[in-house]
Amino acid sequence: MNKWKKKQPATIKPFKRPTLAGDGFGGRAGFFLSRAVNNIRQNIFVNVVTVGTITLALLIVSLFMLVFVNLESATESWSERVQVTVYFDKELTSQDQSAFHEKISALSGVSRVSYVTRDEALKRFKIRLQGQEALLEGIRPEVLPTSFEIALKRSHRDTASVENFVVELKRIPGITEVQYGEEWVRRFNSFLNFMRLLGILLGGFLVIAAIFIVSNTIKLTIYSRRDELEVMALVGATRFFIKAPFLLEGLMQGLAGSVLSLALLFGLYEGFLQNAGSFLTFSPASSGFSFLSLEYIAGLLLAGSMLGFLGSLTSLKRFINV
Amino acid sequence: MIQLHNVSLAYQQDASALNNIDLKIGKGEFVFLTGPSGAGKTSLLRLLYGALTPNSGQVLIDGQNITRISRSQIPLLRRSIGVVFQDFKLLQNRTVFENVAIALEVLGWGRADIGKKTMHILKQMGIESKYNLATQRLSGGEQQRVALARALVNDPKILLADEPTGNLDDANKNQILNIFKEANIRGTTVVVATHDRRLIEQSHKRLVTLNKGEIVEQMEKETASDHQTL
Repeated sequence: MNKWKKKQPATIKPFKRPTLAGDGFGGRAGFFLSRAVNNIRQNIFVNVVTVGTITLALLIVSLFMLVFVNLESATESWSERVQVTVYFDKELTSQDQSAFHEKISALSGVSRVSYVTRDEALKRFKIRLQGQEALLEGIRPEVLPTSFEIALKRSHRDTASVENFVVELKRIPGITEVQYGEEWVRRFNSFLNFMRLLGILLGGFLVIAAIFIVSNTIKLTIYSRRDELEVMALVGATRFFIKAPFLLEGLMQGLAGSVLSLALLFGLYEGFLQNAGSFLTFSPASSGFSFLSLEYIAGLLLAGSMLGFLGSLTSLKRFINV
Repeated sequence: MIQLHNVSLAYQQDASALNNIDLKIGKGEFVFLTGPSGAGKTSLLRLLYGALTPNSGQVLIDGQNITRISRSQIPLLRRSIGVVFQDFKLLQNRTVFENVAIALEVLGWGRADIGKKTMHILKQMGIESKYNLATQRLSGGEQQRVALARALVNDPKILLADEPTGNLDDANKNQILNIFKEANIRGTTVVVATHDRRLIEQSHKRLVTLNKGEIVEQMEKETASDHQTL
């Protein structure tokens, strides 16, 4: 005999509608958060797969970023060599020096101007010819020219700007001989542009691939739970109520994936630094090979979270028909 | 409680599922919808809970024209309607308790209240001892009762059931029928779509027969006159 048969309908007391679980933003957010955490616990396998996919996708992107950022900073330091030199065949008086210094500094794009005396020029010459000092015998400072070395601001190091600058420079009375290694500047800049273009293409391609992979994985996880979405809609859940836990879940998956990928990337970076000596001829640590800056790390965390969130948002649209 | 005026519905242009349906179901009534497969029983039920909108005609639920409400109001409509599906639509990897509690969670009830109310309805259905089992481990009859518990847990004004006894043996059928009757006594309007002749004959309730998308026969049996009509 079943218990329920004995139950008399008359004895059933009607329930009053109870108070809401959590009123206000805090209460609702707490409720959705606990739902999201429960969902993750109940679908642990699917979640591990999703986080793993996001981790790998972001690891590839961030690895590329690490290499690209370091190449950029390396070329940045090479571009310091873009400098314009003004030669004089006599030693300038200190009055002349300061007059030229003032005039040159007034030109746009100048970051640093320094005067090289004859003695200084000879000293440098000696350093360059180290080991072959015999060649320097008989050379006295008087045969060397004095010069102004002009370093340019970063924004003025491209070919056209340098050429413009030289034209401006030659307008200053008394300046006739200017050298700036045109060919080198031109080659260096075209190499820089080529590398940037390649980086943008490759990076863009990787980012698109990552977005595609992650959004499809999320779509699959939501597809595997479409019956839940359907049932919630049938018992009268609003669209927001159905979506919110899934969006939070996506956000958490994205955040977890980006944290993991950064941890892996840091591991790879450290491992590379430790072992690079055995297969590279230079030490990457001493040549300025550095980890991603805080801005990039924050950007990656944000991008991962948004990837999870937006992936969930777009996938949910297909499966909720309220 | 439920009114349909000249309702027509077609899934495709030339094949109509429902044709000029006029139907009034009063508050607290118990109605069987019957007819052969493909007669339009399920389509009619789906109109009532807002899963479909008719191509023409009006559908009024509790005085509200649901062909005119916005999509965002459909959830609110569904909160006053309990639906039992032929395939139950239970979440297989969730427990009995969770399956029923979901109907209260969407209303924003507190945890303690959900617990009390859910266990109460499970007790009524005679499955309170299985509250912590995953529904996939239950028998067909038990699953049907979980589905019923979910439909009834928030005391809906209307209960819709589509072939609720489809795969059940006679003992289970009777139990399910009794649950419907109890809900009806408490004031819930009940609409059951079935082609189980025996169930209909046993229960002595109003009967609406559909065929090829049209109402071909309406029979009042004993009780209909006892209830107030809209």
